[in-house]
This record gives sequence, C-alpha cells and structure tokens, in this order.
Amino acid sequence: MDRVVITGVGLITSIGEGRQTFWENLLAGRSGISEVQSFDTSAYSVHRGGEIKRFAPEKYVRNQSPGELGRSSQLAIAASYLALADAGMDPERLDPVMTGVSMGTTSGEPNQVERFNDALVAQEPERIGPEFIGRYPCHRIAGYVAGEFGLTGCNMMIPAACAAGNYAMAYAFDAIRAGRADVMLAGGADAFSRITYTGFARLFAIAPEKCQPFALNRKGMMPGEGAGILVLESLANAQNRNAPIYAEVAGYGLSCDAFHMTGGHPQGDGAARAMRQALTSSGLTPEEVDYISAHGTGTKSNDQHETVAVKKVFADAAYRTPISSIKSMIGHTMGAASAIESVVCALAISTSRIPPTINLDEPDPECDLDYVPNVAREHTVRVAMNNAYAFGGTNASLILRKFEG
Amino acid sequence: MANRVVITGAGVLSALGDTPETLYAGLCAGQNGVGTLSHPDLPTDGYAGVEISGFSPQTYLGDKNFRPLDRTSHLAASAVHLALSDSGWTEDKLREQIVGLVLGTMFCSVRTIAEFDRRAITLGPSYAKPLDFANTVINAASGQTAIWHHLRGINSTISTGLSSGLQAIAYATDLIHAGRADRLVAGGVEELCFESVYGFGRAGLLAGDGKPSENAVAIPFDARRNGFVPGEAAAFLMLETLDAARARGSKILAEIKGYGTAYDPTWGRTAKTAAVIEQAMTGALRDARRTPSDIRCLSASANGSVNMDAFEAEAIARLFAQAGDLPVTSIKTALGESMGASGALQIVAMTQTMQNGTLPGIHGLTHIPENFPLTASCAENRHGDFPIALINAINYDGHCCSLVLEK
Repeated sequence: MDRVVITGVGLITSIGEGRQTFWENLLAGRSGISEVQSFDTSAYSVHRGGEIKRFAPEKYVRNQSPGELGRSSQLAIAASYLALADAGMDPERLDPVMTGVSMGTTSGEPNQVERFNDALVAQEPERIGPEFIGRYPCHRIAGYVAGEFGLTGCNMMIPAACAAGNYAMAYAFDAIRAGRADVMLAGGADAFSRITYTGFARLFAIAPEKCQPFALNRKGMMPGEGAGILVLESLANAQNRNAPIYAEVAGYGLSCDAFHMTGGHPQGDGAARAMRQALTSSGLTPEEVDYISAHGTGTKSNDQHETVAVKKVFADAAYRTPISSIKSMIGHTMGAASAIESVVCALAISTSRIPPTINLDEPDPECDLDYVPNVAREHTVRVAMNNAYAFGGTNASLILRKFEG
Repeated sequence: MANRVVITGAGVLSALGDTPETLYAGLCAGQNGVGTLSHPDLPTDGYAGVEISGFSPQTYLGDKNFRPLDRTSHLAASAVHLALSDSGWTEDKLREQIVGLVLGTMFCSVRTIAEFDRRAITLGPSYAKPLDFANTVINAASGQTAIWHHLRGINSTISTGLSSGLQAIAYATDLIHAGRADRLVAGGVEELCFESVYGFGRAGLLAGDGKPSENAVAIPFDARRNGFVPGEAAAFLMLETLDAARARGSKILAEIKGYGTAYDPTWGRTAKTAAVIEQAMTGALRDARRTPSDIRCLSASANGSVNMDAFEAEAIARLFAQAGDLPVTSIKTALGESMGASGALQIVAMTQTMQNGTLPGIHGLTHIPENFPLTASCAENRHGDFPIALINAINYDGHCCSLVLEK
C-alpha cells in the first residue's frame, strides 16, 4: 500500500494568505480577531470575530465567475491554487482522472440561506433564483474546486462539523492508499456567517474580546472563517517529480462520543478513543508524539475535557508534550479549522517550530499541561498529532510524521 | 485479501412503507407515493412531492423525548433503528461492541437552518433557539442518531447531492475493506421541506411548474419527462465483514462487490457528462472485477430530468452495447427523487429483487426515446435471476457513483 505525503499547503486566513505569511504571523503570535463587519451585530452582546477582511476572490478564481460562487467555495478555490503552487504543480496540467478533491465544512454556504431568508422575510420570494440551489448545497464547495481545475476524479464532501477538515484528510489518505487517486486536494472551508454567529451567541459561547484557550479567565470561543488545503500525494507520485515533502500522513482515528450534541464527553471518552486509534494505526506510542495541535476552542468545557482526554491517553508523557491552539489567533474556523491545523502540524515538522497559544496570561489549574504560552518555540517535531472535536460528538485525530525515506 | 463486505440488515422509511418488503411490494404493484404538499402561506403550497405521511418517531423509537431532534434526525434515527433490529443488534450489544455510522444527506435539515435564521432576523438574535442551533450543522442527523443508538465508532456525514446515500455506503465499504471498522451502519436520509422544494423549483429542476398536472411528467427516461418530483425517505444498511456476519450467524442480504465514482466538472451541462457517468460505472466494474456482461440488471439514477436521464441512458448504452437486453429500472416514478436517500433506497429495493426474482418495472414509461438502451419490457416487472446488479446514483451537477451489488 502506497505511503501518502504532503507536498503543498494553501491557506486563506484572517492572519494572511499563503504559507509564508500565515506561518510568520502565527509564529509571531499575531491575532486575526477584529470587529465583525459582514453583518450588523448591534443586537448581539458580542461583536468580534475572525473575519477575513481583504479577501479578493477574483485574484484567484480564473475559470469560473467568482461572483457566482459562495464564499466558502471562493476560499477553497483560492487556497487550492496556493496549495498547488506551493507543491510546484501546474494547475493546468493535473491528471483529471487521478486527481481528486476531499473537502470538509461545518455549514457549507450558510450565506446562501441568509440571502434566501432576506428575500423571503422581505416578502419577495421571487428574488430567490436558481443560484440558491446552484450555490447552497455543501457539495458545491468540492464541486467548484473540481470545476476550476477540470477534475473528474473522486470528489468528496464531508460536512462533519468542526472535525470536518480531519475527516476530509482521512478520506483523502485512504483514497490514495486504495489507489483511487494519486493526488488529492484535501482540506476544509467555512465562511463567516450570521447563522453560525447567532448560534454560538445563543449558547453564550463567544468571547467578548479575545480567544484564550486554556487560560483561567477564558471566556469562550471566537467564530472565524478560512480555508486550508493540502496537496496529498502518493509517495511514488511525489518522488517521480522530485517534490519536496513537508510530512507524511501516518494514520488517523475517528470516533463518536454518542453522548451530547454540543458538549464533549466529560471524561474525554470518544476523544481518547480517536487519539488511541490514531496512534495504533500509525504504529506509534504516545511517547513518540512531539507536538499536539489542540482543538482548543477557548470554552470552559472544551479545554478542560480535552486536557482530561490527552492525559488519559498520554499519561505522564502528557506533561512533556507541547500542545498549542492556533484558535487563540485566528478563532474557530469551523470546518476549515482542522485542515488549517493539519498545515500547522506539517509546518511544525518541516520547520521545527511550534506556534504559541496566545492570550494565555493566567494558567487554569485544571489545564496544567504545556500549552506553549504566548511565545513560539523551537522544537524538533518528528511526530505531530492534530485533534479535532465537533458538534454531534464527533472526534478526529490525525497524525503526521517527518518523512524519512 | 481485503475483507468482504456484506449487508446484514436493512431499514427503510418511505412513502410506500416502512419495511423492505412493503417497499418492494409497492414497487412491484406499481404504487405511487406522489402527493400534493400542504405548505400554507408558502409559495410551494400545492406542489407535487413524495412525503412519508403520518410518520411518527414514537412508532420506532418508543416513548422518549424527541424534542431535541428535527424531522431529518427523526427519520434517520428511526430508519437506523430498523436496520439495527433487522440485523439483530440490540441495545445491549451496542453497548458491548462499537458500531459506527456513515450518513449520506444532501441538506441534512435546511428547514431547521433556515427557520433558526428567520427567527433571529424577524424577532431578534436572542429569540433564535439554542436547541435548534445544534441541528443546523450538516452532521446533526448523524450526531443525533449516534447519541440515540449509542453508535461510538466512526461518525461521518457524506454530502454529494443526489448521490450522497450511495456514496456513503461506498465509503463505508472502503472503511471496512481497509480494516478501519468492522461494523458500520450506512445509508441516506432526506426530509422534504419548503426551502429545498422551492429552491429546486426556482432552478427549473422540478417536473412541469412543480405542481401536479398533465404537463408535469416525472417518469424516468420517458420522452415526455420534464423534471423530477422531490421526495423524502430514509434507508440504512448494516454493513459487516463476511467473517463477522458468519461468526454471529447473521443473515446476509447481499454483498457489496465494489464501486466507482467520478465527477463531472461541467456540472451536467455538456456532452462530457455521459463520459463521466460511464467512468463511474467502469470504475465500479473494475473495482468488483466484473465485466459488463456479468451485470444482470441496473437500477438507474434517472428521475425524469431532461438532460441527466439522457446522459445516463447514453452512458449505459455505450458501456452495455455488447451486453444484450440489460434490464434497466428506476424506482423514482413511485418514490420521486429522495436526494440523499435515493441510492440507499435503490439498494434496499435491489436486495429484495435478488431474493424474490422480480425486478419492478419503470411504471408509467410509455414513450421510450429511440436512442435509449431500453425496451418496452422495462416498463413491466421482469422475472428471473438477478444475482449481480449495478446501482447508479448521479447528481445533476456533477457527482456520479456506481456500485456493484451481488446476491
């Protein structure tokens, strides 16, 4: 069975576009959180989020009319172009049959439902045209990406909420191993949305100012948006074209708490099972993990449950393994989150640097692990674990390791 | 040697009944689930649709608190219950062993999502219901169903439009082949609601003007066809390795031999579409190590759409040119286009055909276009042995999935 490697990464985030800018800003601990502008928040008690303020889809989308695409699709296409360029691949010369797409999302294109409702509430349903069904269903994200590059290979959309990026990575990994594709564009995308913002606001889960994962005074998560796309390819394909390799996909674990729709299991049951499976399928022990990219949303319960789950699996090694949450900087990018965090793991491996958890002023005694507070760290990372947890009790852990021939 | 994947139970909720047997009997008898939607004060009032009338989750799930679940989740949890029981899985066994879920759906509940937002914009954000927010994520039905049935394994949601259900079953098969899971429930669910029906109507995809009339013809492959009738359904299968099924002495309904997928980057708008559909079917045959002449019948995706039915017919004609008179059927005269549930429903119907030796015809098909690979007998039930079948599920804007099922 073929090994699967990561040879390109593409990002559109609130702290920058493309690998280099994103990584520099992440290591510098810069925040992408700002006042929400895409809709009026005056009726809300919170007003901040991780919006991308200067995204210009027309800079990227060439073969389709950018205005006809939903924002999540625009973000996904832009990140795909960046990932292909990063991998040294010519988007015009992809093998159309053996190149596939695997995308994750939480809400797909919720802005399209908002437009639908704006027309309906204004009692102008005739304003709703063919574009609602043309743009809204979430499979359009993977579809528009394939349309942009003319790809007829396997095309998958996995709306597994906030673990979707990892689910999409897992699918792409298996598709290449099973010989269904040589190259996969894998990742996730989610657009900033009134619906998502309202929902988290109603759960009183949004922090007023900043996102502070694992801090004693953390006040909640911060809705965000973005896209992270990785070029996954079979080792043979990568070696044939002498492509530099960021990391190898080692294995993954997927599980469900089957316990609560919006909260994690207090003893971290499903999360621990996903981590253990990921280790087993990678042939690794907890001691061999050098870095954990946390789900780390910044809510009281998530960060505590996640800490419990990591301790359950890693025992003493939990205290020696650096853990950080980039959600402290770009907020929770929903279905894109674990895709972007997969990029973080790949870059941590290839650059031997770990991004910090910013805003971690006062540690929470219940969260007593090494969260790489506030300052990036030089650290040799051979193995990185990326954890993601989602509504529905869905858990996904992905393991990347340094490629060694 | 990869694990062989078999179906050890099936659960179905459809307008023609809530067991595989009643669904199949209805299809064989030419029953039709098309009715008229009652959507007071909405533009879709009086539209044609296939609803599961009188559905109540209590019937299947007992007297519990259903408030946290919406209709999509009620349908999913109920049909999964039916599949688990049909396969002999009890609550106790589900606490002992880990079972996962791969759920296909096009929208999950776009009604829940839209209503949540409408409350916020009409009454103010503080009137949006937190309980509903949990159901606005597209994996809500798989999460709710997992909680309900204590399914602690892989919990994935697949959304590839009208092919979601078949694609979910295909993915689950891969997961078992690869040894990532031993037992998965897989299938599809879709509820019928104003938002999706109106959207389809505005996109010109519904038969006629969406309302039942002589001018609205949603008969698959018929020359008079002019769109589909939207439907709702849920269909789930219990999938296990052959070894696991034999070890526990389970019945085996059929085996999934392989599948193929392909994507049409022109979104069903060009001549390339037929070639892409053929690519999916060819991939399925290759995966199953079968040739076109091995296939004894085909359950088509055709739902009455002008272009997509023609593209599928063209692809079938090309691939099966040498295969003689291949019996082709579609369940969608009777059940409409049930979106994410369609492909899973087709498999349930086909397992019945394999056991009972009758392939339900495409009822109502009277005007067969000359270049379509269909004979007049496609309109009638056919009797015979159907040990190997090809199942197609094709979305109107790109996703194609084809799967080989064997007795």
